[in-house]
Amino acid sequence: MPRTTTVECPGCPPIRALTTDVLGLVKVVEVSGKIGTPKVVETWGPPDASRSVVTASFADRKTNPLLAVARKNGLVEFLNPLNGNALATVTVKDCVSSSNSTEDELVAGLHLLGTKGTELSSKSSTFLMCTEKGKACLKSIMLGDASPDSSLADAPSTWNVCGAGNVLCSSVDGAENFALFGGKGVELNVWDLEKCSKIWTAKSPPCNSLGIFSPTWFTASTFLSKDDHRKIAAGTNNRQVRLYDISAQRRPVISINFRESPIKVVTEDLDGYTVYVGTGCGDLASFDMRTGKLLGCFVGKCSGSIRSIARHPKLPIIASCGLDSYLRFWDTKTRQLLSAVFLKQHLTSVLLDSHFSSEEIEPADQSSDLQAIDHSEVENDDELLLLTRKSKTSRKKVQNKIKAEKIKRESQYDEMSDEDDEPTTFDADDDDEMPATKRKKTLGGKEKNVRLKQKKSKKRIG
Amino acid sequence: MAEGKRKREPAVAGAQVEEEKKSRDGKDKKRRMLPSLIKNKLKRMEVHAKVKREKRVEKKKKAKARVDAHKRALELGEEPPPVRIPRTIENTREPDETVCKPDDEELFVGNDADEFSQILKQEHAPKILITTCRFNSSRGPAFIQELLSVIPNAHYHKRGTYELKKIIEYANKKEFTSIIVVHTNQVENQVNALLIINLPDGPTAHFKLSKLVLRKDIKNHGNPNPATSPKLVLNNFTTRLGHRVGRLIQSLFPQDPYFRGRRVVTFHNQRDFIFFRHHRYVFESKETKVDTKDTAAKNDKGKNLTQTKMIARLQECGPRFTLKLISLQHGTFDSKGGEFEWVHKPEMDTSRRRFFL
Repeated sequence: MPRTTTVECPGCPPIRALTTDVLGLVKVVEVSGKIGTPKVVETWGPPDASRSVVTASFADRKTNPLLAVARKNGLVEFLNPLNGNALATVTVKDCVSSSNSTEDELVAGLHLLGTKGTELSSKSSTFLMCTEKGKACLKSIMLGDASPDSSLADAPSTWNVCGAGNVLCSSVDGAENFALFGGKGVELNVWDLEKCSKIWTAKSPPCNSLGIFSPTWFTASTFLSKDDHRKIAAGTNNRQVRLYDISAQRRPVISINFRESPIKVVTEDLDGYTVYVGTGCGDLASFDMRTGKLLGCFVGKCSGSIRSIARHPKLPIIASCGLDSYLRFWDTKTRQLLSAVFLKQHLTSVLLDSHFSSEEIEPADQSSDLQAIDHSEVENDDELLLLTRKSKTSRKKVQNKIKAEKIKRESQYDEMSDEDDEPTTFDADDDDEMPATKRKKTLGGKEKNVRLKQKKSKKRIG
Repeated sequence: MAEGKRKREPAVAGAQVEEEKKSRDGKDKKRRMLPSLIKNKLKRMEVHAKVKREKRVEKKKKAKARVDAHKRALELGEEPPPVRIPRTIENTREPDETVCKPDDEELFVGNDADEFSQILKQEHAPKILITTCRFNSSRGPAFIQELLSVIPNAHYHKRGTYELKKIIEYANKKEFTSIIVVHTNQVENQVNALLIINLPDGPTAHFKLSKLVLRKDIKNHGNPNPATSPKLVLNNFTTRLGHRVGRLIQSLFPQDPYFRGRRVVTFHNQRDFIFFRHHRYVFESKETKVDTKDTAAKNDKGKNLTQTKMIARLQECGPRFTLKLISLQHGTFDSKGGEFEWVHKPEMDTSRRRFFL
């Protein structure tokens, strides 16, 4: 009788996502079971508007995953993404050591490095941070204590990215040798991180046919593929999505106009040529950057500006969050909305944990992949504590879990293979209640905890 | 087949059609003959009128039966049959998970931290700047005069040809707390939109304005006393978005707990339309006779009693209009580079029972 058309959202495969919002809370959203609806599992941090998260970065590693969160009050906190403990805190002013330290400098970009290599030996982690005024700093810090004066492992290298203007977006390429910065009045520049030198600057396109010159205002940028640092996709305030090729020319190779509001996020896909673009009006679309063609829009009642998109490294899923307080999961191939979670505050970034597998009993390993375009959260808190990520519920069942703790890093959501008999070593987490006795095999010290792949839970006697 | 048959039949004879309909009544709703399928207009009108008459007769019978049953039950001393609640769109509204819950701590913290909290906590007194769009119209100024009398501490400035961004800068310098831009339709010279910008970099709400009735057009209107600040009634802003819009509207008016005036301004939200009304009220005591069916009174005294009740009498004054939220922008007004907290999209309208405020 009532004339309604409702499309039921199919559920999500097991996923774990971390979202940050303007009240400084970090919320963990998980999907349990094979296909289910996501629910908020944990909330970390007291709600406090002065601690609102500006950017975040996530080191998606099996061992020692780390979440770094840059807050509005000038602090950068490093959290353990498995249980939310603060492992270290750094103040922006210390890192940047600006002479005019009277002003608060907002962090524009934050990236955790060390995702590729294994940094298990030391308790330190390296991160790249850039403030809005243009000071970039590459630094390592020691983890393990949450006091604001964590000692620095080695001298930071600081340089000025731009003379004038505000840096609004930054990105680090897959091999972590190059970093990209852009902003309002700041043309895109690519820096070599080892030498801290600028290797390329973009040039703005000439005046258009009407003679109107639009000022440079980059709001989002990313390297197009993990292996190739030469191609860059960027979004401007003027609703343009541009492709730059470092090896070819300084002007944009392709420039696409998309709808009418500024581009807020650009994220690359794993195949190296597709990008997902989010605008200020809530439109989410995917483009093929080889041709410049719009592949399609993601339709799903998104009414607020999209602040962050994250691509899961294994499953064809993207997560988007924005000012309408919803976290949405989409299927990349069919562009269908898988599910939406209401999170009550304006969300600033979302990060996916790709090392999450949900077992029936126990917690899944969740690895978040940082696909947050501009922000990478540095989470180096738990280098030592290689936690087997588990969902909250299963933590209580540690005993059973250990058996079933062959956490599959990449759990296929449509099919879970049987567990192997390979022993899994668990990351020891100091805070975790997992009794050592139950561990099947533990290799040496905690540093060597490796997250095990958990496959379908099979109870094993550990 | 059946379709063809049905179509041919109306053309042939109308009587057949009615019989068909009656025979099929209650059985297969899908295949019931609708009067709208009859191609012949005269015949169609006849059939439709007959159907309507029958329906009305049926309805009256049912209502009478209900009333009789109720009376009978009362006389017999039994429980009357339960009153059935009619189905309304508000009753069957789609459940919305964004509804504010009373125990939500995040909501309170968010409220403390949002842009309106300073005004609502009475740290700042609101100061409103009212202006128009660039090309003025005849209805504009009249509406603006009325708005000036409704909202205390409001100032009107002519628009000139300033850009809105410049106006925002100017207002920030002069410490205004909000700007209201009244937008008129250039063709018909009618007011059709309202833009409320909260300063300093607060959210911008864009409303569509309709059904505007000026004070002179209201019968028996009253003249408000603009020196007093009005009491504010905000009805039915339940969701998070609605709550935020409600606070935006609340920040236009001064918050004074020691209230003395007799004016009330109401913003009533129903089905995403916000109705604005402005009244003067007075409390009076009125004597009414006690209901003679009250058995206790009857038995005790055996004569009619009078009861004094306190009622409020309202007199409408001021304009009357309806607003509908088109979009809520996160910063101040920025047509090109703005990001939206909420913007209406046609894909949201797929359900008639879904509302956002």
